Amino acid sequence: MRRVGVWLICAVLMLVVSACSSSSPSSTSGGQATGAAPTPAVEPAKGEPVELVMYSWRPEDKEAYNKFIAEFEKKHANIKVKFKPFKSTEYNTILSNSLTAGTGVDIVQLRPYSGATSIADAGYLLPIDDVKGVQDIPKAYLDAARGSDQKVYGVPLSINSAVIFYNKKILEDNGLQPPQTWDELIQVSHALQAKGIVPIAQAGKAAYLLSIAHSVIGTSSYGGNEYVEKLLSGEVNFNDPAFKESIRRMQELAPFFPPDFIGIDDKDAQALFYTGKAAMYINGSYRLETFEKQSPDLPIDILPGLAKEKGGDAPMINWVDGSYGIPKATKHPEEAKLFMEFLASKEFGQMFSDDLSRLSAIAGVTPKHPLVQKMTQLSEKSMAPFLMLVHFGEGTPTTKTTFEDSLQGMYIGKLTVDKVAEDTQASSDKWFKPKK
Amino acid sequence: MPVTDKTAAAKTEAAKIRRRNWKRHLVHLFLLPALLFYIWFQIYPIFSAFLNSFFAWDGLKRGSFVGLENFVRLFTESPFQETFFRGLGHNVIFFIGIVLTKLVVAFVLALFINSKIRGKEFFKMVIFMPKLLSVIVVGFLFSLILNPTYGALNTFLKFIGLEELARPWLGSPDTALYTIILVNSWYGLGFAVLIFLAGLQAIPSEIYDAAKMDGASGFTMLWRMTVPLAMPSIMVMTILSFIGAFEAFELIFAMQGSQAGPYYSTDVLATYFYRLAFGSVAGGESIGLGSALAVVLFLMISSATAILLFFFRRKEYEQ
Repeated sequence: MRRVGVWLICAVLMLVVSACSSSSPSSTSGGQATGAAPTPAVEPAKGEPVELVMYSWRPEDKEAYNKFIAEFEKKHANIKVKFKPFKSTEYNTILSNSLTAGTGVDIVQLRPYSGATSIADAGYLLPIDDVKGVQDIPKAYLDAARGSDQKVYGVPLSINSAVIFYNKKILEDNGLQPPQTWDELIQVSHALQAKGIVPIAQAGKAAYLLSIAHSVIGTSSYGGNEYVEKLLSGEVNFNDPAFKESIRRMQELAPFFPPDFIGIDDKDAQALFYTGKAAMYINGSYRLETFEKQSPDLPIDILPGLAKEKGGDAPMINWVDGSYGIPKATKHPEEAKLFMEFLASKEFGQMFSDDLSRLSAIAGVTPKHPLVQKMTQLSEKSMAPFLMLVHFGEGTPTTKTTFEDSLQGMYIGKLTVDKVAEDTQASSDKWFKPKK
Repeated sequence: MPVTDKTAAAKTEAAKIRRRNWKRHLVHLFLLPALLFYIWFQIYPIFSAFLNSFFAWDGLKRGSFVGLENFVRLFTESPFQETFFRGLGHNVIFFIGIVLTKLVVAFVLALFINSKIRGKEFFKMVIFMPKLLSVIVVGFLFSLILNPTYGALNTFLKFIGLEELARPWLGSPDTALYTIILVNSWYGLGFAVLIFLAGLQAIPSEIYDAAKMDGASGFTMLWRMTVPLAMPSIMVMTILSFIGAFEAFELIFAMQGSQAGPYYSTDVLATYFYRLAFGSVAGGESIGLGSALAVVLFLMISSATAILLFFFRRKEYEQ
């Protein structure tokens, strides 16, 4: 019996030793430095086909990806790619578990900016600077997929724009012009409400939708890029009256949202819009494809962020929406790099833009869809970042999460406008270092 | 007997004993696979959570040993402190709610089914049926029923002229938590009824006959006899409900997501733990804090369960 006890102690000690040894791989990763000449990945030897498992948070794109993957497999008969999408809100958990376990996945979709940086810094990814085509992607887009070592760890997928979708017919039927400024948005909303139409199909159950809406509504009130620069240099902070004004505008819009909007899902809000019960809907440009699938005849147009005054610049709120990277633990790095090459190619970028009505991050891709073309043109004219996502995605919880949850708290009467700003600032104070 | 023979005999005897002992210990070997399985899937995760809670974390990368710092931050630093105590408060409400809406109702139903009524097997089956569904399915179905725009409940209330009672059940901080508690009670009612029924059926009917002959009223028999004699099943269900209330996660997650909205009004310690530990890939020091919370939750549940067990055992002994 005593011996069994000794064995048990030994087993527990082994566990202690294994747990005490670093559970995460070294952060020093191999690969070539940024700017190194791209080297084509090696085609695997013929034999048993290699299967690459690819994670994504876009179940709605499954059909399109199957088509893209078929194109890739035509050229690489010995490689099979299995597209495994997960619900967006649960993706982070699934991804971190897979990376920690170190098995089961060969291509991962990475959240942009700090989302990608933290995974790369933890040493879970392979740098892909040397993959053919990566260095041709605009630098600003690659910044969304870099580690702190400045190496690139992901092929940026698409550029998202936060926009106001509007139903052209509803506005025309009611003799209304698409709003360009805050005052016009309020006037149009009042007019629509008087006719029994929901002015803006906004959902609030998932708080992230509120920060997207804020980026569209609030950017002109806090002063766009100029304010962002001052914020990043520490000249102003979230307690600034201009930023508080942007929150106040969100509060003032509440009567124009659907009744009990804090209890409704985005899918319910989308349905209100594509069934013609609501005139406007605010979200990322990725919803264009959803609407066209659900209601192909819906007469949609888009508006960028609001302009400060009539005829002024209306900034397009942009961000890179994730990228695809290779986990270091993959058993098929060469095959995965071949797939990365494909993702970084103009051929994929064009297919992606055409089939999913999205703006590709790959240089030289010309969007086919007129509304995507319009977004591109508007972006070229005036552009501002999705402030919370691009610059304030860090902290525990992240400042972005704190902000959007606080907005939800404001809508249910738990927080004031000032408190939303204070909580956001308190969150950023914990980690954000202004660039002097 | 020469000395050499004695030594040889002793050696043979010792060898026999060793062989017997070895055979006796062989049986432990058969337990080894199950033991390893248990250590790997039960002990190791708990142990690793304990270990992780003593380290600083940077995203998914473990940093230096920081002792009890994660625990101190959890209880003293904003917003961790507020979120912890808010979640704990909701767990307590959850437990009280379950006791009132599940245990009390289940006990009454068990009494009803235990009486001499016709078709009690049918009632038993109907009451137990929700338990056959997956909790995620229940959460999804009730999210549809309670949807403020097209949900069946509000539509029904409007149809029967009680429009003023229609509300965003899951979208208002005033109703969201209580709504989830009710759904949870509906889901778990059948199991509680079965446990109570087993307890009630174990009470000998002669006791009631004797009490009736002594002129005891129905209420006296219930309060003085049925409840004390059914105490073991009441104890089991109270402890299981306590553990269930403090581990509550699936239903809240299925109905309100990991943010446990609106604005954390349905947030309990398990959803808070989920957000801290897994909520964000860019989660900074989340894993250390999340592990610290898991350790606190483990210690809270195990110690409170031990206290409850002690309390009930003493009560049982006194009777």
